[in-house]
Amino acid sequence: MRVRKAKKEAEISKNDPRVKFLANKIKKENYSPGSLIEILHTAQNAFGYLPLNVLQYITKALKLPPARVFSTVTFYHFFSLKSKGEHTCLVCTGTACYVKGAQAIVNELEKQFGLHSGQVTPDNKLGVAVARCIGACGIAPAVVLDDEVLAKVEPQELTQKIKSKLAAS
Amino acid sequence: MSMTKLTLQIDGRSIETESGRTILEVCKENDITILTMCHLKGITDVGACRLCLVEIEGVSKLMSACTTKVADKMIIRTSTEKIKRYQRITTELFAAERNHVCSVCIANGHCELQKLAYDVKMDHIRYPYLFPQCEVDTSHPLYVLDHNRCIVCTRCVRVCAEVEGAYNWDVMNRGTNVRIISDFNTPWGESITCSDCGKCVEACPTGALWPKAVVQGQLNKAPEFISDLIEKRKMKL
Repeated sequence: MRVRKAKKEAEISKNDPRVKFLANKIKKENYSPGSLIEILHTAQNAFGYLPLNVLQYITKALKLPPARVFSTVTFYHFFSLKSKGEHTCLVCTGTACYVKGAQAIVNELEKQFGLHSGQVTPDNKLGVAVARCIGACGIAPAVVLDDEVLAKVEPQELTQKIKSKLAAS
Repeated sequence: MSMTKLTLQIDGRSIETESGRTILEVCKENDITILTMCHLKGITDVGACRLCLVEIEGVSKLMSACTTKVADKMIIRTSTEKIKRYQRITTELFAAERNHVCSVCIANGHCELQKLAYDVKMDHIRYPYLFPQCEVDTSHPLYVLDHNRCIVCTRCVRVCAEVEGAYNWDVMNRGTNVRIISDFNTPWGESITCSDCGKCVEACPTGALWPKAVVQGQLNKAPEFISDLIEKRKMKL
């Protein structure tokens, strides 16, 4: 046996409404280890990403090995360990959108906000990501701005829209 | 489970066996060599390494011997040119994926991957080396995890979960970014689940896991120790 350093317990605020929501979900799933993905989904949607203390909380509640939870989180692209930003801008770069000028949108975002795909501004206000195809080829080039699907996007219009969103928040 | 007798043919030999067994088990019993890497007797087979592929008549794709159960009147071939070609490809891909430098490896001369390369007569590698940036985790007081030598066979993961029951290890990410991790990708030495038993080290086929008290080329692992342990644990004395 080796001497272990005292571990700091996961700091998680029980009064946080997001934590309460998550705790409810875990209870509803009957603390079943098989519902891990469901619960991770809930946590990802509530927090916008999966902070380590939330993962520790879930691990304890479901009595799962930590490595198993981390393995699941890193396997699926839906889960993120880093914050994706308060506002997210997802640019579709599938074939149809690419032909219709998705690259110009990506370039404009990079020029205006200095963000590559997967990056977030230092103040955590805006995150940019690209997807291969969001299945909306008829309205190419498509962009998803905070769960709102925008059709036939012009690069300048998009950056204007983002700027007004950032200013409003 | 009721055992029914069945007969099958492996490499032209007629063999009588029972249902419920894998092709690999039957081959081993009958001294038919099948190359394996992720297989370790006693722990769950996952069919990850693709080295034990065999041809089965009537099946268009190659099947992994460790995860395919025998069936009556099966006709199996284990050493056709196609299989040999695939084994060679698999071995080359193992060597090209990480930084396997035998001459400076702790497991030199006692490595299953090295032995495999001799077995398939690998004299060169036709694929570009990926040379990934891999970390070496020396945080554990007794053992070292060197990702450069890891082939992600997951024997350590399964031994830890199934035999020791600690479940310290798992695999993170996908594709070439796959890494063996302890807990939440925390350094091994800071793991809260590891019981320091060293079964993963014993199970590891390469120089990816090794005890600190060993110098280069002096490593000698005994994976069969794990298989014996599993057998002994089943005994009720």
